[in-house]
Amino acid sequence: MSKLRLYTAIYVVLFGLATAQTLVEFAGLDYWVGLWTIVGLSFLKAAIVAGYYQHLRWEPRSISFVLLVGLLAALALTVASSYSIT
Amino acid sequence: MSAETDSGGDHGLPDSSTITRWLVTTNHKDVGILYTVTALFFLVFGGVLALLMRIQLWTPGAGFLEAVSYNQAVSAHGLIMVFWFLSPFAFGFANYVVPLQIGARDLAFPRLNALSYWLYLFSGLLFAVSFFQGATFAGGWTMYAPLNVPVYTPDIGASTAVLALVLFVVSVTVSSVNFLTSMHRMRAEGLTLRRMPIFSWTILLTVWMMLFAFAALLAALLILSSDRLLGTQYFAATGAGGSLLWAHLFWFFGHPEVYIVFFPALGVMAECFQTFTGQRLVGRKWFIAAMVLVALQSFVVWMHHMFLTSINLEIKTLFMATTIGISLPFDLMVFALIYTLIKGRIRFTTPFLFSFGALVLFIIGGITGVFLGAVVLDYEFRGTYWVVAHFHYVMVGGVTALFGGLYYWFPKMTGKMYDEFLGKLHFGLYFVGFNLLYFPMFLSWETPRRDFVYPEAFVSWHQLSTVGGFVLGISFLVMFYNLAKSLVAGEAADDNPWAFSTTTEWALPSPPPIENFPGVPTFASGALEFRSAEAGDRSAVEIADGGGEPAPDGGPAHAAGTDAADHEEDHASPWPLAVGVASFVLLLGLSGLQRGGFPSGVEGGFYVATTGVGLAALGWTLVRLARERFVGPSGPFGESWPFEAVENTKLGVWIFLASDVVLFGAFIGSYVFIRVAHGWTDWHELVPEAHVVTPGLVNTYLLLTSSFAVVVALVAAERESRWGLVGSLGLTFGLGVAFLVNKAMEWQHLFHVHGETFANGWVPSTNVAASTFYLTTGLHGLHVIGGLCIALYLVARAWNGAYLDDERSIEYFGLYWHFVDIVWLFLFPLFYIL
Repeated sequence: MSKLRLYTAIYVVLFGLATAQTLVEFAGLDYWVGLWTIVGLSFLKAAIVAGYYQHLRWEPRSISFVLLVGLLAALALTVASSYSIT
Repeated sequence: MSAETDSGGDHGLPDSSTITRWLVTTNHKDVGILYTVTALFFLVFGGVLALLMRIQLWTPGAGFLEAVSYNQAVSAHGLIMVFWFLSPFAFGFANYVVPLQIGARDLAFPRLNALSYWLYLFSGLLFAVSFFQGATFAGGWTMYAPLNVPVYTPDIGASTAVLALVLFVVSVTVSSVNFLTSMHRMRAEGLTLRRMPIFSWTILLTVWMMLFAFAALLAALLILSSDRLLGTQYFAATGAGGSLLWAHLFWFFGHPEVYIVFFPALGVMAECFQTFTGQRLVGRKWFIAAMVLVALQSFVVWMHHMFLTSINLEIKTLFMATTIGISLPFDLMVFALIYTLIKGRIRFTTPFLFSFGALVLFIIGGITGVFLGAVVLDYEFRGTYWVVAHFHYVMVGGVTALFGGLYYWFPKMTGKMYDEFLGKLHFGLYFVGFNLLYFPMFLSWETPRRDFVYPEAFVSWHQLSTVGGFVLGISFLVMFYNLAKSLVAGEAADDNPWAFSTTTEWALPSPPPIENFPGVPTFASGALEFRSAEAGDRSAVEIADGGGEPAPDGGPAHAAGTDAADHEEDHASPWPLAVGVASFVLLLGLSGLQRGGFPSGVEGGFYVATTGVGLAALGWTLVRLARERFVGPSGPFGESWPFEAVENTKLGVWIFLASDVVLFGAFIGSYVFIRVAHGWTDWHELVPEAHVVTPGLVNTYLLLTSSFAVVVALVAAERESRWGLVGSLGLTFGLGVAFLVNKAMEWQHLFHVHGETFANGWVPSTNVAASTFYLTTGLHGLHVIGGLCIALYLVARAWNGAYLDDERSIEYFGLYWHFVDIVWLFLFPLFYIL
């Protein structure tokens, strides 16, 4: 598959996922099931953009690890601080 | 060096005796000296403030300073010492020594290195200006909410202090990216991480911590700036969890900061112990492993600063455990240092004395800190002089080693030997003054911190402290006299004035020539060698290099090629300084903002004009910086683990993006925190009905399409299609503009909603939901604007035929633009759907 075709396919997928994410809200799911579905879709889209448009799939893993460390730090701050609330 | 008389010959740098040289230099050794000297200036600044406090504390409740002046002195002393003295002092050495130790000719991005320095200097000057705008920040160096909002600290100077910190953090981030790229990518052949000198190791771990920790501080400071300047409500006393949020953000940065400050000192200690005992650091491998462990653990102990807040008991217990956990690797390091002393033969030079003194002080500081790490004891000790004494023993204990480092590398940096007797006198006065100053604080620990009224029973202890403070201050007069005298009339220093020192900088002349090495350094054989140097003919190579002549022929082809590249390298650029000045002017102007508006009258006019001039100047200088032809160090490099296959600039972009992940992560984390504190599902009560999904979804489509346009541009550049490139970049730009227009229309609509709940519209100051929405998406919007400026620049250059033979600029811009896209993929559901 040429690069341009791959990029186009990815674009279509992202467009579809963004639309689907919005529709989840109106699907009548339980609030928390809906919430985690929506958040999960965001992570999925982010991974696709990073993997294909930012070429992380073809870069050395070390770069992905650096980014993941940043993500982990942000998640640690978010989760632990929210958990600390009495 | 013959070149020093030739203004054009030293890689375009003027002679080092001229002022111009220091304004345009980008060479890491020059920048290192600039950092060192400037940091010493801030030491004096912060030190004088401390002496003012000590005079005030001579008797309880003295009236030497007014109360608010005392508060300013306390706060400014802490901020100046922690930010503008401690780390920059260590980074003076890091700039000078690390490239030498790793066998690099300079850092990866020399102009960014100069930029870091100028942003640092101007951030400090901005802070100094804040004293003259009513009052500087007076709410303590930790800037706890709600004291940090205008209700309690209303002066413009307090806002300026916050903005000065923002500029400082930008400097640190630029510097971290530069050091990480250089240290990972540009080590000499054979200099694997396992073999890297211990000082370089401490700096490597420090910059990794800096990258992530300072991003969290940047988030905290930007939110605070917004609260102060634009009127958002994050930290308002009435909001849900506002003061707790500040504490979380600040200490998520603040605890790693302790090690950011201390690690370089540890590196100096280890280097000095090795050199002055003639003994390799005992358990070097384990010492490094312990430091790596501490660097990781430092991010999971921050809540031990919050034991007296309303966080729950479970999390207090957990963080007490992690705090005890982080003291364990330090035990290993301390014992490794002690055993090195026991096994070696000590030579009591000045650098050794300071390093040894630092170890003693750090042990006291560390042990007294364990008390504070226990929840129950902290209930008693919190907010007392026990804390003050403890952290001065740790932080100033670390500084003690850095002064050892100053004496240690002084001969290398200046080519002159310092006076050993005066050095020892300095140490004697310093060590006595230090302990007279801080130890009585343990004994009078019940004194309330940040207050100048204390029980009569402690008067003699405090007077002893004040005497100690002045002895400590006087010891620095001895140091300045010694260094100044030695600089002018000191003995010339050998290449290696210390026997047994083994790191690379001591194999070079004192000071080293501008290009550092007489050839390509390699450690492939296990010892330092220079590939292109003729045996024993180093000085000949040096003079030839310095004079701008080609290196002597006859070396291996590889080395000759590198030498030729060496001569094309630039070392001078006026634009980093210019960007620094412009940033200073812009932030000075912005400091006048209050609740989204400038004051009226002449004062307001001044701030508006200054903002305008600063903004224009910043844009212009950045464009000039980008347009300037500048050749930095180029490969091939020896060791680049683990980024062998990633070019320097690309790695730099990725590392920067990693810090941006934390910045946005902290913004999103703040939103989640506030929403959880408020009640997650009750949030919609704070949001008007008019806030609907559609504008967000449209913007999602726009950004996704613009991301697609960037990858199409990359393909066009690879296919050398000039108009395909211009068209797709133009489309990216157009879609980005459409994104902003859509956002502006949405905001305009929300500002003017009517209804029972929001009679006056939904503006950033309406409630905390509005604050989080406007500020988080606003920060993202600023990223979009930044990206659009770059895109416009790329379009203009692509129009003239650029990038067709080298599409890397398009690729790297894409990395940033896709990142901005990714952030929106999270903001959209968080702020529009959930």
